[in-house]
Amino acid sequence: MLSLTGVTHVYPNNTRALDGVSLEIPRGMYGLLGPNGAGKSTLMRSIATLQTPSSGSISFDGIDVVANPEDIRARLGYLPQDFGVYPRVTAYDMLEHMAVLKGIAGKSERKETVETLLNQVNLWKNRKQAIAGFSGGMRQRFGIAQALIGNPDLIITDEPTAGLDPEERNRFLNLLAEVGENVVVILSTHIVEDVADLCPNMAVLVGGTVQLKGAPADLIASTAGMIWEKTVPRADYGIYESQYQIISSRLMSGQSVIHILSDSDPGEGFKSVSGGLEDVYFTTLARTRSESAAA
Amino acid sequence: MFTSIFWFELRYQLRNPVFIVTSLVFFLLTFGSVTIDNIQIGSGGNIHVNSPIAIAQTVLIMTVFYMFASTAFVANVVVRDDESGFGPMVRSTRVTKFAYLLGRYAGAYTAAAVGFAAVPLAILIGAQMPWLDQETLGPTVLSHYLSIFVVFALPNILVTSAIFFAVACVSRSMMLSYVGVLVFLVLYFTLTGLAGDQPGLRDTVATIEPFGLGAFSDATRYWSAAESNNQVPPFEGALFWNRLIALCLSGIALGIAYWRYSFAENGVSARTLKKEQRRAAREAAEQPCLVDVLPAPNQKAAAWPRLLSRTRLEVNLIFTSPAFFVLILIGLLNSGGALWFANQLYGTPAVPMTFALLMPLFGSFGIIPIIIAIYFAGELVWRDRDRGMHEIIDATSLPNWAYFVPKVLAVAAVLIATLCIAALAAILVQLFRGYTAIELDKYVAWFILPYSVDMLMTAILAVFFQALSTSKYMGWGLMVVYLVASITLVSLGFEHPLYNFGDVGFVMVSDLNGADVGGEKSWWLRLYWGGICAILSVIAYLLWRRGVAVSLRAQLARVPARLVGAPALIALIGLGVSTTTGGWMFYQMNVLNEYVISDEQEEQLADYEKQFLQYENVKQPSTTHVQLDVDLYPHAGRALFKGSYTLINDTGAPVEELHVLFQDGYSDLTELDIPGGTLTLDEQEDYGYQIYALEPAMAPGETLEMRFAAERIHNGFSTRGEDTRLVKNGTFLNNAEFAPQLGFDRSALLQDRSTRRKYDLPTELRMPKLEDESARDRNYVGNVDWVMSDITVTTRADQTAIAPGKLVSEVIEGDRRVTHFKSSTPILGFFSIQSAEYAVTKRKHTGIDMAIYHHPAHGFNAERMLDAMAVSLDYFQENFGPYQFDYARVIEFPGYATFAQAFAGTVPYSERIGFIANTADEDDIDYVSYVTAHEYAHQYWAHQLISAYMQGGTMMVETMAQYSALMVMKEIYGEEQIRRFLKYELDAYLSSRGGEAIEELPLNRVENQGYIHYRKGAVVLYLLQDRLGEDRVNGMLAALLERFKFKSQPYASSTDLVAGFKSLARDDAEVRLVADLLENITLYDFAAFDARVAALDNGQYETTFTVTAAKLYADGEGEETDAVFDNLVDIGAFAKRPGYEVLEPVDVIAMRLEPLLSGEQMVSLVTAEKPAFVGVDPYSKFVDRDGDDNITAVEDAG
Repeated sequence: MLSLTGVTHVYPNNTRALDGVSLEIPRGMYGLLGPNGAGKSTLMRSIATLQTPSSGSISFDGIDVVANPEDIRARLGYLPQDFGVYPRVTAYDMLEHMAVLKGIAGKSERKETVETLLNQVNLWKNRKQAIAGFSGGMRQRFGIAQALIGNPDLIITDEPTAGLDPEERNRFLNLLAEVGENVVVILSTHIVEDVADLCPNMAVLVGGTVQLKGAPADLIASTAGMIWEKTVPRADYGIYESQYQIISSRLMSGQSVIHILSDSDPGEGFKSVSGGLEDVYFTTLARTRSESAAA
Repeated sequence: MFTSIFWFELRYQLRNPVFIVTSLVFFLLTFGSVTIDNIQIGSGGNIHVNSPIAIAQTVLIMTVFYMFASTAFVANVVVRDDESGFGPMVRSTRVTKFAYLLGRYAGAYTAAAVGFAAVPLAILIGAQMPWLDQETLGPTVLSHYLSIFVVFALPNILVTSAIFFAVACVSRSMMLSYVGVLVFLVLYFTLTGLAGDQPGLRDTVATIEPFGLGAFSDATRYWSAAESNNQVPPFEGALFWNRLIALCLSGIALGIAYWRYSFAENGVSARTLKKEQRRAAREAAEQPCLVDVLPAPNQKAAAWPRLLSRTRLEVNLIFTSPAFFVLILIGLLNSGGALWFANQLYGTPAVPMTFALLMPLFGSFGIIPIIIAIYFAGELVWRDRDRGMHEIIDATSLPNWAYFVPKVLAVAAVLIATLCIAALAAILVQLFRGYTAIELDKYVAWFILPYSVDMLMTAILAVFFQALSTSKYMGWGLMVVYLVASITLVSLGFEHPLYNFGDVGFVMVSDLNGADVGGEKSWWLRLYWGGICAILSVIAYLLWRRGVAVSLRAQLARVPARLVGAPALIALIGLGVSTTTGGWMFYQMNVLNEYVISDEQEEQLADYEKQFLQYENVKQPSTTHVQLDVDLYPHAGRALFKGSYTLINDTGAPVEELHVLFQDGYSDLTELDIPGGTLTLDEQEDYGYQIYALEPAMAPGETLEMRFAAERIHNGFSTRGEDTRLVKNGTFLNNAEFAPQLGFDRSALLQDRSTRRKYDLPTELRMPKLEDESARDRNYVGNVDWVMSDITVTTRADQTAIAPGKLVSEVIEGDRRVTHFKSSTPILGFFSIQSAEYAVTKRKHTGIDMAIYHHPAHGFNAERMLDAMAVSLDYFQENFGPYQFDYARVIEFPGYATFAQAFAGTVPYSERIGFIANTADEDDIDYVSYVTAHEYAHQYWAHQLISAYMQGGTMMVETMAQYSALMVMKEIYGEEQIRRFLKYELDAYLSSRGGEAIEELPLNRVENQGYIHYRKGAVVLYLLQDRLGEDRVNGMLAALLERFKFKSQPYASSTDLVAGFKSLARDDAEVRLVADLLENITLYDFAAFDARVAALDNGQYETTFTVTAAKLYADGEGEETDAVFDNLVDIGAFAKRPGYEVLEPVDVIAMRLEPLLSGEQMVSLVTAEKPAFVGVDPYSKFVDRDGDDNITAVEDAG
């Protein structure tokens, strides 16, 4: 549906934000995972026609996005990583204004659009409040509401869950899952759970290049037997770090639970665990880091 | 704690855009006033634009305007935290109320003070601009700027910011703080207005009013130019106390702010709470209207909703912005004064007719829409980016045009609303003045419509610059550069309207002639610039930034794709319109007419003087008969002239050459026939100068008849000023504009001293000295002769034509009206030709046909003019001799100029003076009668006796006309009320002395200096008739008239008049008085104080008071030397205070002359009634710089 071929973007200061990104994105939720600074936002903006890539092509349903931005905008819903609002404007008024901008011409159609969406994103009771006074979650829900105006068939969300509390995040992801059945929804994020919970397909973007792509289940299967876990005192973390390739660690009851990557049993009390998507992601990151260190 | 909060606040404020924008606005306002001639704040004349006085005036006035800015700074301190929601967080920290509140106030105040430094800085920089006339600049003295900033600016900003900080602390609202500013302004103007009427209050108000304007002007009122240019007002007396009180006021205000400010949130009232609950319940009950499938967009149908919705959003943004509110208030404040005082003359208000209000409105409100356009174009174009909404908006299917168009429309709509507000202010002034004939059609046609188009063009340019820029600040910068460049280029000689963006010329409006002068040209230019604006719009659209991190290359790459379709069409139409109209106008301006820049004109005049001044004293024959045929076609802009002069050689020697002068820029001499004359020098084309050799020479006593023809044809549009003399309705031409003159004339020569120096001419051309008897050969009215005239004017049948002379016949021939005027006695050979659709108010008085020709709606003062004419003619005939005409006419002409001028029995009178004076208030000076009497006095002083072109010449004409007019005023209003006229004249004289450019001369040597021959002359002559006796003076004047009446050379000189006065002096004191008043520059100073009244046994009252007297002589530069006073002066006792209240004869309890000497002395008056006031020289008959202390209130002797 959406296909990217060799998309490269170099900023005027010679930063290579995207380097030959090629992806085939089908209908449904698509997770784009990557750490901060990986080029995700540049990629999202390029697809959303806000930036013209230095080279490469992007096409959606046969439309050349770079050459005909107008055509794609008519079918696009975009929720940027961060957005501001006009002061003193209520959610209802702002959404109605956005509906006008998106070409919902009739008054009654706008009313239907606005009220259905406000209800859908659970902001109906807050409709007369100024968006400036919204919490982060409410604001993101407003953001997705505006992205959904006019039934877009390409929805781009850039780091939508950053900074949300778990409840807000769940509510938001449910919303996204609801709409993501028949259209292309790109969920760009640095949070692995977002992708793990929702996306049948995903890619990992690091340093402007695609490091990994596929279905999460397949990717998880590919690491079977290679992830080893041990619970160690926090004070000893440094020792383990120097001896093993730690791909992730988390704290549990004041001790560090570390995961390492190893083809064979490393012994030393490490137990084999069935890795999650998180391990896949961190493995990829760790590999990229060691490669770039080697290079 | 305090200091860190202070520094934080200061840094915060300095980084706030409000700071940058206000500094920029105040910089521009001041810079404009310094560098553009027609924007002026205070000062003028011989006072340098960067003199300490001018700096102080500008700084003081700007501090009044700056209230709006400093309030924004300090009120922000209070409301910011509540608005951002940070308030509770900040206040829950350990910060003390003192540090929190006053630390922040101190920071905000400092930022406001730093921002205000833009004003002195703008004067400093403005004064360095190369196009300024160097003569108007003094040396740059940094200490002046500094001390004025410290003494005036800092305390003023402190006191106003402290007051409004207190208001903000109590109200916790930005809007209410501004309402506070308004209330404060109203109180301030009421208080100062009241003080103007109440002498007792004036000093007090000057001391306590917080801006120090009164104290400043009291300290410097009568400063000479030298003092004004070199001194800062001394920091003492009222000024010192005023500043001290300002500081105390600030302290009190800050105390109140501290006391009233509470860290706790203001609670919500039960009522609002209830209302809030009801609203919530209502909202909760509403059910959303749900659909299963969201409606699909319809891009085509969305065009209108998009345009409307976007425009509405942008307009709302501006209307709800405090900056807009503040700018409008500043504009209204500035224009309010201009509107209120519009056309005020002699302190008498005018009837606020629409045409008369619009001109001051153009001038005073003009800069505000431009600032609004610049500021909000930046805000609008960059708003989505500033708010972080641009990514969402740019990713929608909003078409590219829907960015540019609504922003331009919004800026233009706001500007048009601004114009409507300005018009509304003018209408309010009209209603407030009790004028209810509101002419909305004129507001629309002359103001809102044309200026809206101009505003739209300004909006397009401002948005265009923003679209091109990579940041808001760059866009603002470009617009400022454009503004400065457009001013600079014009002053550098790049004056063509086809390359000065938006130049549509200036249209002066008039009830008589509408917007005819320049109106049509301005609309063609608007069409031309409209085409250019279409192109600019398309460029802005093509280069509009959409998305993020857009490079110029990427923008350019999109141009071809965006250009296709409507944009290309619009650009082509724009190009077509601008090239056709531009080409056509270029043809009109540069081919049909000549494009001459002002520098070239100046250079031509300089060359003219260099080549022809040598002929000034070549003797020419006199004219005895003038015959003129004038055919006016006012609507076609065409006039044809034919005429002949009969000359006689009265020079006593053969005349070998005739020097023919024909210099008017709008008329052409088409034929000239001089029998026996051969053209030997032809500079008609460049200089309007021709010399004909007479063969044979004209013998003494011989006569000659010369004939000429000329035409004045408006030929399309020209770049220079439009012809304001030959117009559709209200033509007013004088003979110098269409008929040749004989002999060199100085009137066209360059006057401005710096311009003269620039072209290597002597800085000034002085008049011949009083002692130069040979100068008596030429008279001062262009050396014209006494002639018999025969003038026929034809004009449209619906217009009335008037020229000097007795009306012989007036007939309609077809669509033409033919009017024939003939003089019955010789008259001075200068003539006015007028034609318009007039209403006539007539009266026959002692065999004289009096008539006022006026616009049908301007007749309200016609009867008053006739009354003044009647009293004048009666008084003059009784005292000076017969009036030489059997007619007397006043004829209105369009207000393109504001004067009245006396031709033979015929007085053209500007639409903007007398006709629209509001004479309803008896306390105001009735200048309608005064000016009318003055012009009819000229029928004696000029049209019977004409003086020589030499020092003192204008005393014989203008001073005598002023004197005669004062005597008429005395007839009408009585001696007690004459003080108002005298006080006005005296004040005008004293305050003009400082503006003298060359040197102040005694009255008998006056060199055409208005403030001397009109203002001082009136005061001095009044005192002389008072002392020498009105009848004796008039008798002497009648004899003088008899001697010089209708006589040619030798012409009268002021020596004859001075001798006449001396002959009337009966003792040494009177001789001294005549010499001091007429031959010296003499200043007096009288004061009265310590008046005590005691009841006498015989039932009368004796009032004893101390009087001081002093006399000073001043030289031409204002240097003063003490002299001994020894003369008689009026002392009087009154029931009311003279000068401030209208005195009836019964209010004057006693009045007599008292011999006084220099220094202090006791005087006493015995009266039947108990006086309330006594005084010395109570009617200000002497030239006394402080007349207020001449009167003192009487106290009971204890």
